[in-house]
Amino acid sequence: MVRRVAHPQQVSEAADVSAARPMSPLRTAILAALVLAASASHPLAEQAADPGAGETSLSLECRVPGAQLYTAAKLSAVQAALAEKRPIKLLAIGGSTAPGASASYPAKLEAALERALPKVDVVIDHRGLPGEIASGAAEHMRTMVVEAEPDLVVWQVGTHDAIARVEAEAFELALSEAVAWIRSHGIDVVLVDPIYTASMAADADYNRIVDAVRTVAMQQQVPLVRRYEALHYLSSRIDRGEGHFLGRQFRLNDLGLRCMAEHVALTIVTSLAKTETPADPKAAPAAPPLTGTQRAPG
Amino acid sequence: MRDPNAIDFWRGFALVTIFINHVPGNTFERYTFSQYGISDAAELFVFLAGWSIGIATRGRDGVPEPPGKSVLRLLNRTVEVYRAQLTVMLLALAIIAGAALLLDNPLILEWHNAGGFFADPIQSVCGMALLTYQLGYFNILPLYVLLIGIAPIFVIVGRFSLVAALLLSGGIYLASLVFAWNVPSWPGEGDWYFDPLCWQVLLVLGFVLQRWNARSGVLRRWARRLFPAGIVIVLVGIVLAVTEIRPDPMLVPEPRLLFTFEKTYLTPARLVHFLGVLLAFAPVYALLAPRIGPIVGYLTQLGRNSLAVFSMGSILSLIGQLVRFQTGGGLPIDMLVAGTGLIGLGLTAWFVEWRTRSKSPRPRT
Repeated sequence: MVRRVAHPQQVSEAADVSAARPMSPLRTAILAALVLAASASHPLAEQAADPGAGETSLSLECRVPGAQLYTAAKLSAVQAALAEKRPIKLLAIGGSTAPGASASYPAKLEAALERALPKVDVVIDHRGLPGEIASGAAEHMRTMVVEAEPDLVVWQVGTHDAIARVEAEAFELALSEAVAWIRSHGIDVVLVDPIYTASMAADADYNRIVDAVRTVAMQQQVPLVRRYEALHYLSSRIDRGEGHFLGRQFRLNDLGLRCMAEHVALTIVTSLAKTETPADPKAAPAAPPLTGTQRAPG
Repeated sequence: MRDPNAIDFWRGFALVTIFINHVPGNTFERYTFSQYGISDAAELFVFLAGWSIGIATRGRDGVPEPPGKSVLRLLNRTVEVYRAQLTVMLLALAIIAGAALLLDNPLILEWHNAGGFFADPIQSVCGMALLTYQLGYFNILPLYVLLIGIAPIFVIVGRFSLVAALLLSGGIYLASLVFAWNVPSWPGEGDWYFDPLCWQVLLVLGFVLQRWNARSGVLRRWARRLFPAGIVIVLVGIVLAVTEIRPDPMLVPEPRLLFTFEKTYLTPARLVHFLGVLLAFAPVYALLAPRIGPIVGYLTQLGRNSLAVFSMGSILSLIGQLVRFQTGGGLPIDMLVAGTGLIGLGLTAWFVEWRTRSKSPRPRT
């Protein structure tokens, strides 16, 4: 397999590779707008006007160009839940579990999704997942999924393995198995890769872990929130402006936590726009994990 | 000071194993027995805690001390462990925060779910005092606090009937498995990593087996007879661990916790595997002890001072993780981390015994 270190310059070209055919931002926007026709509060169609300035559906401080923010892929189970007009059960795994002032991520995600998908009830269960995916945490994740029985798992993954200096190959294999397992039970997955922070930017191991998350997302054809890229983009914009009493990296981290919910919500909504509504909702879920070897470009 | 014995030896062994396993990704992790079975050192640690309660609540002559004294003794121990947990948590959070500041790296704040604390200190500090806020890899002591806290119930029941104590404990265990009872985490969603309602069965089992073992030779005879079964269970455990064969929790029948391998709930497969390990390895100490004197001396000293050694081990393993993270790991670093860690554990045990000695005016036998 071709392995590529995630340098931001290269990555922006690689946007949207998980979709069978790459979509222009305009098309994505139109599709999203069709699905969200009822959503008057969220004029997604406007985003096509100036893609370089970032997704306009995002709040100003979180605005990142779509290509640097996500890769979309189909979300059949969520689409099926929408078609059946039942609440979407979402299991958010990883990250801070405590609902604090700067990290009320589950509440924000629920609000952002319900804003973007009017008349849809979103129920979020948020669990922390300590430990490494490559050794044991994947087992714990299975327990959580069985207990929560969600339609969609949004998984912030890679940080603990990166910190424990787990081999990227072992991590990638374990994550790939874990994602395939979730999907084999008819549950959708959205992956969220680790954060960007200046002191890790040149760390080859760390970049390999970020890369591995992307590879798994592509191989398993699941949407990916490219938090690393998004934060890297945002970091260039907060050079100016007020500082943080602990330093710039901590300010960026706060911003990243604040923006997580919006970024995840946009990825989900864009991915839903690419998912055709199943003709028969009952027969739709459980798309088996695709085994075709999709390789990273570049 | 106690002479070297099998209990302290195995407890020291469990402490070293837990220390190595709490520096995830390190080279030596793959040489610990935890990688070659369904159960691991946590089971051994809790079982031996129960066994020790059996010893501690009797005099040298085997006559039980007054029940009131046993209750006070266990209460005292609960306070000690609770104090250790608070100290260890505070130090761990300080180490994580300090490292993030020194290395200018907010990523470190997310370590072991510490991010929750820094995002919401108001609720988290309450959760810390209530033991419902736990850091990853720092969740054995809260379990231990709760187990020692409820141990008086089983000790008192055991005075009347050990079988009754075991039935009570086993009943709670089975009910918790069937209904998936657990103690909730707070703040944040989810439950305790070690479900105390399930894990108590191991503590009570240790306590009851110690009593039976002290009373008659029946238990030892049966342990000898079942030795081959222990070997078979250990071998099956190795095969399952190496091939990573395990039941899919989504596909097993209800109640699913009876069939899965989950550590949180000490599921029956883990319990059976642990008992197999016990049967297979119980005779090993007598064989090893005369041959590996210094190692026995080192491990039993750790085992005698398990709370201090465990607490220091948690802190040292966290520092070890930070060192591995910052340097990028590799064999030399892993040797340094493991080596200084093991020396640190030994020094901790030595220091505690030195302090005890220097406090008491008359020499102990």
